[in-house]
Amino acid sequence: MPQKIVKSKIIFEGEIVETIGEVSTEEYERWGANENLKVVGKPVSRIDGYDKVSGSAVYTFDKILQRMVYARTLRSPLPHAKIKRIDISKALKVNGILDVITFQNTEDIDWYWNSSKLFDPHLRYQGDEIACAAAETAELAEQALKLIEVDYDELPFAVNTKKALESDPEKLTGFKKPDLFTYDRGDFSKGISESDESVEDTFTTPVVIHNPTEVHCSTVAWDGGKLTVWDSTQAIFSVRNAVADSLKININDVRVIKKYMGGGFGSKLEAGKYTVMAALLARRLGRPVKIYLDRREMNLAVGNRPDSHQTLKVWGKRDGTITAMSYKSFGAVGAYPQGAAANWPFRTMYKCPNIKVEDQNVFINAGRARAFRAPGHVQGVFALDSIIDDFAYKIGMDPIDLRLKNYAEVDQVFNVPYTSKLLKEAYSAGAQAINWDLRNKIPGSGNGVIKRGIGMASQIWWGGGGPPAHAMLKLERGGYLTVISGTQDIGTGTYTILAQVAAEILEIPMEKIEVILGDTGVGPYAPSSGGSQTIASVAPAVRDASEKMKSKLISAAAAIMEIPEDKIKYNNGEIESIEDPAKKLSIADILKELREESLLMNGSREANPDGYTTNSFGAQFADVSVDTETGKITVNKIAAAHDIGRPMNQKTLENQFHGGILQGLSYALMEERVIDESTGQVVNLNMHDYKIPTVKDVPKIEIIIVSKSDDLVNNVGAKGIGEPAIIPTAGAIANAVYNAIGVRIKSLPITPDKVLNAIYKFN
Amino acid sequence: MREFNFTNPSTLDEASKILKTSDSSSALLAGGTDLLSLIKHEIIDPENLVNIKNLNGFDKIVYRKGEGLKLGALVRISDIAEHQIIKDKFTVLSDAASVIASPQLRNMGTIGGNLCQRPRCWYYREEFDCIRKGGDICYAYLGKNKYHCIVGGGPCYIVHPSDTAVALTALDAKVTIYSNGDYKSIPIQEFFILPEVNYLKENVLEPGEIVTEIFIPEPKADVKSKYIKFMERNAWDFAVVSVASVMNLSNGKISSGKLAWGGVAPVPWQEEQLNQKMSGLSIDDNSVEEFSKSLFENSEPLEHNEYKLILAKNLTKRIIKEIAAD
Ligand SMILES: Cc1cc2nc3c(=O)[nH]c(=O)nc-3n(C[C@H](O)[C@H](O)[C@H](O)COP(=O)(O)OP(=O)(O)OC[C@H]3O[C@@H](n4cnc5c(N)ncnc54)[C@H](O)[C@@H]3O)c2cc1C
Ligand code: SF4
Repeated sequence: MPQKIVKSKIIFEGEIVETIGEVSTEEYERWGANENLKVVGKPVSRIDGYDKVSGSAVYTFDKILQRMVYARTLRSPLPHAKIKRIDISKALKVNGILDVITFQNTEDIDWYWNSSKLFDPHLRYQGDEIACAAAETAELAEQALKLIEVDYDELPFAVNTKKALESDPEKLTGFKKPDLFTYDRGDFSKGISESDESVEDTFTTPVVIHNPTEVHCSTVAWDGGKLTVWDSTQAIFSVRNAVADSLKININDVRVIKKYMGGGFGSKLEAGKYTVMAALLARRLGRPVKIYLDRREMNLAVGNRPDSHQTLKVWGKRDGTITAMSYKSFGAVGAYPQGAAANWPFRTMYKCPNIKVEDQNVFINAGRARAFRAPGHVQGVFALDSIIDDFAYKIGMDPIDLRLKNYAEVDQVFNVPYTSKLLKEAYSAGAQAINWDLRNKIPGSGNGVIKRGIGMASQIWWGGGGPPAHAMLKLERGGYLTVISGTQDIGTGTYTILAQVAAEILEIPMEKIEVILGDTGVGPYAPSSGGSQTIASVAPAVRDASEKMKSKLISAAAAIMEIPEDKIKYNNGEIESIEDPAKKLSIADILKELREESLLMNGSREANPDGYTTNSFGAQFADVSVDTETGKITVNKIAAAHDIGRPMNQKTLENQFHGGILQGLSYALMEERVIDESTGQVVNLNMHDYKIPTVKDVPKIEIIIVSKSDDLVNNVGAKGIGEPAIIPTAGAIANAVYNAIGVRIKSLPITPDKVLNAIYKFN
Repeated sequence: MREFNFTNPSTLDEASKILKTSDSSSALLAGGTDLLSLIKHEIIDPENLVNIKNLNGFDKIVYRKGEGLKLGALVRISDIAEHQIIKDKFTVLSDAASVIASPQLRNMGTIGGNLCQRPRCWYYREEFDCIRKGGDICYAYLGKNKYHCIVGGGPCYIVHPSDTAVALTALDAKVTIYSNGDYKSIPIQEFFILPEVNYLKENVLEPGEIVTEIFIPEPKADVKSKYIKFMERNAWDFAVVSVASVMNLSNGKISSGKLAWGGVAPVPWQEEQLNQKMSGLSIDDNSVEEFSKSLFENSEPLEHNEYKLILAKNLTKRIIKEIAAD
């Protein structure tokens, strides 16, 4: 049977996850290098490119329905309080106001894994939801919100992670202190006794905000007892489940649709309270409701990359062999349960038999953390690759040689081999692209006011994808193909790549292929678009369906031409007799013979290979200039060399890398959520005070893919690239800055004030 | 944001009267690039919006040789940045105008509005009821004050955000104000006021007073000028610190010169004795270094902004050397 339900394992975010799911058991011939292929791997333009560029693409934010009303949200102005009294009567008098919901007039709906409610009178951070108002226009709804009277019991709070760690967590949020995460490997004291040298340092990273271009928003409409939700989400099935559970209605009474999206970066992996609030209002009003967050709310209430305070120590021999490493960190998860750990790269990136890890999550009275493009890894690699460089300089070794000396051939946590690992190749390609030999052998030894430096950092991530992930094909009159799957394109190019895979196998021109994604009412299940798993999970399912469709077409041709199937071959989108190539049928011909009904086919992702783990690898190299009189850092170039399996589309691949590298540069040099400690309120809630780079800050970027295909991981050989792109950027820039000025800035972002303080205080 | 009356007066007098009689709940609207965001973020809450964009004659740039340059209050920032005579003779001003905000904002923003724009202190722009908004504490003083002033502060510690104001200060410009049916002209140095004088506003304007023109006297022959703005990113950013300089050189020495700084004080900062000290300064590394060390002797940096002192000194050295080398 080519389709089976099996138990399969993936190592995801540091845990072995076992899933039982339907997989394809079909084994397909591997494609070899992209040179052998016609469509996959080529720089194919996005199939939705014209619609997006011309402005005719309808994003969730653009969704407008007849009789639609607008909803806006009232949020806590205080970092910690209980609502003593709330009075909505004045708000309800605003002309055009339709409804206001609060904890007083709605049922209890559990939220944040039952730690809180949709409307919880216990407010734990500035931004916590208090009420939601619907009105004929968004402005009227906002006006009504201002007339809601709330009396608060103000409670003690902490917004500084270090201070929160020292206070009683139950007083801050009512939650217990999260358990300390620990991990040990080998014989730690033996490792230390074998060493000649050691280095130790503490690195801190800021809280940063996702800030996707498109704000979080939903438009919801009831049709009888059935609810349709257009949501800007990375996970249509998660949203469907959360909405159905919250409203206590059947799963198949909720349909979640997301067509185009202006980014999420992890902040849209969970269902938002706003969607459920809109659904409640829509039900009460009997009218469709559109709800959205403004930029201020985006900076407060839809997640962030948690901060980290990482102390690392490395012991090793003078020949560069690392003998022991220790890691101790804490980071703020915000006001509700979430993870902030950043230790995975530390446990696996470099070979070390003796390791000790302690990682503590801390509650603070500020917006809750969420997954953010390579959670933990971006912070973790910055600290790890900084301390590794420190050790290299201490023993006088080339930083790359040190990394090669401690190259991990297998996954050290689970002791299994990788399906592929081409990190050595990435080191040498990246080093060449950046002119590694031009770095300062002694950091800071360059002359002049503007000092140049070169640095690098390594990358590890999962991203091999896995089952269950399904796709459906529909072949219709004229040979037009529709690919349908319950995955979603969050702006990364999924529509295009899935079409390419079908085009490759069925040899149907791209123009004849339509792709329908992001609709729980239509598409078979596919995972959420996070963890760089979309293409590695769904593209193999499309290949599976396409190969099976091909067989179906051959059988159809056999029946029509009355030739045995083994005497028929599929050639260039046509089905021809092997013996008499003049006898052939196009796909359109076949469908005509079938009275123009449609041909359907399902496909599924195969199981992951047993006994392996799949990771992507890479290294980024930065060339920077530091103006020692102003502290300004200019990134001249980033060379990114990665092993990501098969590059599926050169253009969308470059998009992902450019975006990731810029987001990484921004993290290294600019971004930080700043909270006033005396009031617990955030001071930079707009895109002017919360800084991200402009087009004028963009460096030269060179992308080198050292892999051709990972043939073990899946039938298309792809691993994900969305997260690998951002992981090593900040670490590489930090190391380059150190190489330039000879003073290490241990806290991100590396802003001019920190550079000046460092240069002027320590010189 | 509440509803407001929008008026389109056709004369200056009419505009001034509406602004005056309705007092503080009226606001004058020029390009609107700052005013509208102040209203939307509810930092101000005017009942009347008085649009002056339709007034005739305030959008001209007029240069008269031997006299100087006149800029109408409605002249757009982008017009200043691109004007050839300004580029040639008042380089510091076109330099400053060209690095303001973004092309879109420069196309909308006017010079009058640029001088009268409100502070960018993030407490002021967020929901903090601080002194400048009528509250009773300055949150920045003991708070997040990396971008705040190092001189001239107290009880409020803003920096003045305008780039053109710094250039105009170095150029000894005069500001013409329409007031009670009459015009008065005051040196730009007197236009801006420190918080110790009045922490609720940044300039001398009283309700009903309107800036109509900026006048810059003809510079000395062979003058050289320049503006250096240090930003954390390469565009669309206010100055962390900026410096404007206008000087005449002879025989490797500065014969006369003026300096002004942005990003260091609640007003464009100038110190008369420094300008005097500049005359006769030799342009060699040692003298310039010595000179820069004597800057801001009265500075009182806050917890997070001491670096601005280093930055201001280094930028000053840089501007002197660069002008000399030009
Ligand atoms: C994102 C952003 C970035 C910016 N970056 C910079 C920067 O880097 N450097 C810089 O210098 N500026 C910067 N600005 C400020 C911008 O230059 C000013 O907003 C603009 O110059 C104001 O001109 P306007 O005509 O739009 O004024 P408006 O917004 O119409 O008015 C601003 C204020 O001035 C008052 N006003 C206007 N004209 C007069 C007049 N003739 N007489 C009396 N009062 C008047 C108004 O009542 C109002 O209070 C930035 C602004 C934004 C929004
Ligand atoms: S510096 Fe001025 S504007 Fe800023 S918080 Fe203090 S008083 Fe308010």
